[in-house]
Amino acid sequence: MKKNIIILGGGQAGIYAAREIRQNDSKSNIKILSEENLLPYERPPLSKDFLLDKKKEEDLYFHSSEVLKNENIEFENISINKVDFENKKLFAKNDNVYSYDSLLISTGSENKKLTLDNNLKNDIYYLRNLEEAKKIKEIVLNKNKITIIGGGFIGLEIASSLSQLQKKVIVIEIGNQLMGRIIPKQIADLVQNTHIENGNEIILNKQIEKITKKNDDYEILLNDNSLIETDFIIAGIGSTPTVKLFEKTNLKLDNGIVTNQFCETSIKDVYAAGDVSNFYHPFYERNMRLESYQHAQNHGICAGKNIAGVKTEYTSIPWMWSDQFNLNLQLTGICDEYDEIIERGNDINNGVIYFFLKNNKIRGACGVGIIGKVGRDIRITSKLTEKDTIVDKQILSDQNLKLNKLIQK
Amino acid sequence: MSEENWIEVGSTDSIEEEDLIRFDHQDKTFCVYKLTDGFYATDGICTHEAVHLEDGLVMDDEIECPMHQGIFNIKSGEALSPPACEDLKTYPVKVDNDKIFIKID
Ligand SMILES: Cc1cc2nc3c(=O)[nH]c(=O)nc-3n(C[C@H](O)[C@H](O)[C@H](O)COP(=O)(O)OP(=O)(O)OC[C@H]3O[C@@H](n4cnc5c(N)ncnc54)[C@H](O)[C@@H]3O)c2cc1C
Ligand code: FES
Repeated sequence: MKKNIIILGGGQAGIYAAREIRQNDSKSNIKILSEENLLPYERPPLSKDFLLDKKKEEDLYFHSSEVLKNENIEFENISINKVDFENKKLFAKNDNVYSYDSLLISTGSENKKLTLDNNLKNDIYYLRNLEEAKKIKEIVLNKNKITIIGGGFIGLEIASSLSQLQKKVIVIEIGNQLMGRIIPKQIADLVQNTHIENGNEIILNKQIEKITKKNDDYEILLNDNSLIETDFIIAGIGSTPTVKLFEKTNLKLDNGIVTNQFCETSIKDVYAAGDVSNFYHPFYERNMRLESYQHAQNHGICAGKNIAGVKTEYTSIPWMWSDQFNLNLQLTGICDEYDEIIERGNDINNGVIYFFLKNNKIRGACGVGIIGKVGRDIRITSKLTEKDTIVDKQILSDQNLKLNKLIQK
Repeated sequence: MSEENWIEVGSTDSIEEEDLIRFDHQDKTFCVYKLTDGFYATDGICTHEAVHLEDGLVMDDEIECPMHQGIFNIKSGEALSPPACEDLKTYPVKVDNDKIFIKID
């Protein structure tokens, strides 16, 4: 009998899973249910090349409708608002009912919203999807002084793009450094300098007290009583996994949907992948939730294999990047479990990398440099981490010595 | 095949094995690789975004872009891993008297 496989959420993890299932299973029905009326597309350019008009909408799609048709993958634009795991059914707003034998949840994550006491909800913009990116792109044409609330990756990428569009940009960050927690302070400071050199204003350690609308402009009151005047506000204050739909079910949730190394959830025949899943990583022997392009792709592929019956452990070493101005920042592994830090390089033009080691083995690394300068070393670092290699610290710290000498074949 | 199209890149010992050099000619950039079985050449700029592949990682027959880890097969130019999806152009290479030449059209 043909199996019905449903993929809830038509983003990056969803499409990679669908194609992987088809590679391993030519018979089952595969259907993607997607709230967005768009074929799966890449989100990273939304804050970068799409705003800068270097990439157009048609450049963002992972695959054309022909590819899906050829692989017999159905794509339906529908929003699911109820699940019944016991009877293996999904319910849509328009009363459609979908039955599944296997379900993949790949609903991604959503932006946290500012809690403001007055009625300015519709005045603050956020960026998660193409529709929002289009709106921001159109509105900023007529704006000059733009405030970004939140100095995380997405906020800073928007700040970089808008600065390149000749806008005056102010970034307000509540923490004492940009891209808080996960990024070493030294690297955050290098990125901050680049923003300042390009004319952006960065305000750290400040909280928003109040936002008031003045005709078409806004006044932002900070907790030190300083006042910022601005004509457009975008907030990028972090995101949360999209799990509201499952809160009243018995699906195990804890900072996302809890999955094991096979992308299996606490309910039989229900899998989760991508931003929404808090998965067990066998190498790091702990659970983690990642919001990254590489992870969404590889986790989707791994879920696809497991759904198709090819039992596969997810062991990919985390990797993500951020592009701001002429800088490329990359992060691999995890950088919060270490007993030693080693620095490689000190000039952003040649790249600067911090390695995080535990018991003489690399657990993670973070680097930044002008475009192209850290990628190779970060990639080699991922391989060294994966192979659990005891590393020669002399080679790590000396930029004149090539890191690929450390890879044992 | 006229001799004029072959452009000298440099000497064979200017590239380490499993590595590459960048070669600029007129307004174009190329990458020339030394793999275990010989020399190969491709365009020097990633097809995803305009990034020089000279800083990428060569592993076996593949070049990995330093920016977003797009992967290309060096011999065929085929884009093997997203975000790269457009193939990389490849060029014929010959070695003559310890000198590397590539044929640019
Ligand atoms: C602006 C921006 C820039 C980024 N830049 C980078 C970068 O530079 N580098 C990097 O590594 N990563 C970056 N990322 C992160 C990366 O894009 C994400 O990690 C990745 O898209 C996650 O894929 P996913 O499939 O888990 O979720 P998504 O791609 O978010 O897809 C989830 C989909 O599910 C749909 N959905 C949710 N609920 C329902 C429902 N009930 N019914 C039907 N459909 C539903 C959503 O509408 C959405 O379409 C960026 C993200 C954003 C937003
Ligand atoms: S620029 Fe090469 S993969 Fe993006």
